[in-house]
Amino acid sequence: MVTPLNPEAFENLRLELRRGCLVLAVLAALRREQYGYTLRKILSERGLEIDEGTLYPLLRRLESQGLLASEWREEEKRKKRFYLLSVSGALVLEQLLDEWSSLDSSIREILKGEK
Amino acid sequence: MELIERYLEAVKFWLPRRQKDDIIAELSGDIYAQIEDREASLNRKLTEAEVEELLKQRGNPLLVANRFQPQNQLIGPELFPVYRFVLKIFAFGYLMPYVLVWIGMMLFSPAFRIEQAHASGLGAIGSLISYLWIATCLVGCPVTAAFAILERMQERMHLFDCWSPRKLAHVRDLNHIPRTNSAFELGFGLIFIVWWIIYLHSPVVWIGPLAQITLSPQWPWLFWGYLLVALVNLTLAANKLMHPQWSEEKAVMRLFSDLAGSLLLCWLMKADLMAGFAAANTTPEQSLALTEAFNHWMRTIFPVAVALTLVVFATNVYRIVRLHRSQKRDSL
Repeated sequence: MVTPLNPEAFENLRLELRRGCLVLAVLAALRREQYGYTLRKILSERGLEIDEGTLYPLLRRLESQGLLASEWREEEKRKKRFYLLSVSGALVLEQLLDEWSSLDSSIREILKGEK
Repeated sequence: MELIERYLEAVKFWLPRRQKDDIIAELSGDIYAQIEDREASLNRKLTEAEVEELLKQRGNPLLVANRFQPQNQLIGPELFPVYRFVLKIFAFGYLMPYVLVWIGMMLFSPAFRIEQAHASGLGAIGSLISYLWIATCLVGCPVTAAFAILERMQERMHLFDCWSPRKLAHVRDLNHIPRTNSAFELGFGLIFIVWWIIYLHSPVVWIGPLAQITLSPQWPWLFWGYLLVALVNLTLAANKLMHPQWSEEKAVMRLFSDLAGSLLLCWLMKADLMAGFAAANTTPEQSLALTEAFNHWMRTIFPVAVALTLVVFATNVYRIVRLHRSQKRDSL
């Protein structure tokens, strides 16, 4: 008899899988300048929900690693912090995308072999 | 909106000091942008209840703020198993035996009971708990501090880089019995039996030509009991020498012989073993005092014999359970 995995354990596995993908998605989305809220909306519209408690610390970490640049600007009477991919961020994004494609094709190969 | 300000203030309290204002400005922008967006889609102002719901969805202020904190760990995942192992050694190697001996003393030594608790059971438990707490603090605090320092230094010291597969410990087969141990047990057992029969077969034991000890009337029972245990152990040692692997039968036999030996020891302690003592230049009063002192001392250390019996019993039961499990695993 197959014992179903409990929902909490599945949620942990799902979050673990998503964690690396989120970095890639954020870097890719910030090839165009965005501020936090619009970035969240863009990701959500493309099927990648991310809550603000995850997004803002992630943006700060990526900025401290030099992958993003940010500046405060006033827009629609409100001060907003805009983020943009830095030059080294663009390089890292390229390398990560290569890694992503390689992982994707490896997993597809493994799945094909199993069939 | 007051609710938003209160929420932001609560988050701010837990944020890293240098980034407080910056993070709050950004979070505030995000909250207001979300509200404006929602209001635009509904074509009306949000009610206070809706704002409250929106803030609740963002999560507890403490948890939200924690995500902005640097990942500080006192002891990281690499060192944590070693830390836990050291604490386990302390718990099972010191605290647990201490509690067992304490229970033994409380059950069988009235003098210890009175000394511990002034005849009050609760007072005794209180003094045990306070001792365990102090011992745990005295060992746990320095160990934790040492591991926290190691954690900070491990990257510079490259602690986990200095290893080689050749330096790793050899695989230990717990079911294997080294032949040297069995040969020693056999030799020692033979010498013991010969000595036991020659010197202790009679309840009157001579110590040199001028002194003699008269043993308790219960001595014949103890003599034959120990002789029987020694013979069983000798047979077991010979068997282990020929077949140096533990089996469930051997382990059960060992359990019974060890248990019998330990129980005889407990009996020995309570049997007022010395019935009389006589020596040249010793007055009858001195002999009586010596006899009473010896028997009193034996009764005093009786709880230690009980604790020893418990340890012997637990060790043997553990061996049987381990063998049973490994046999079950092998049969799968």
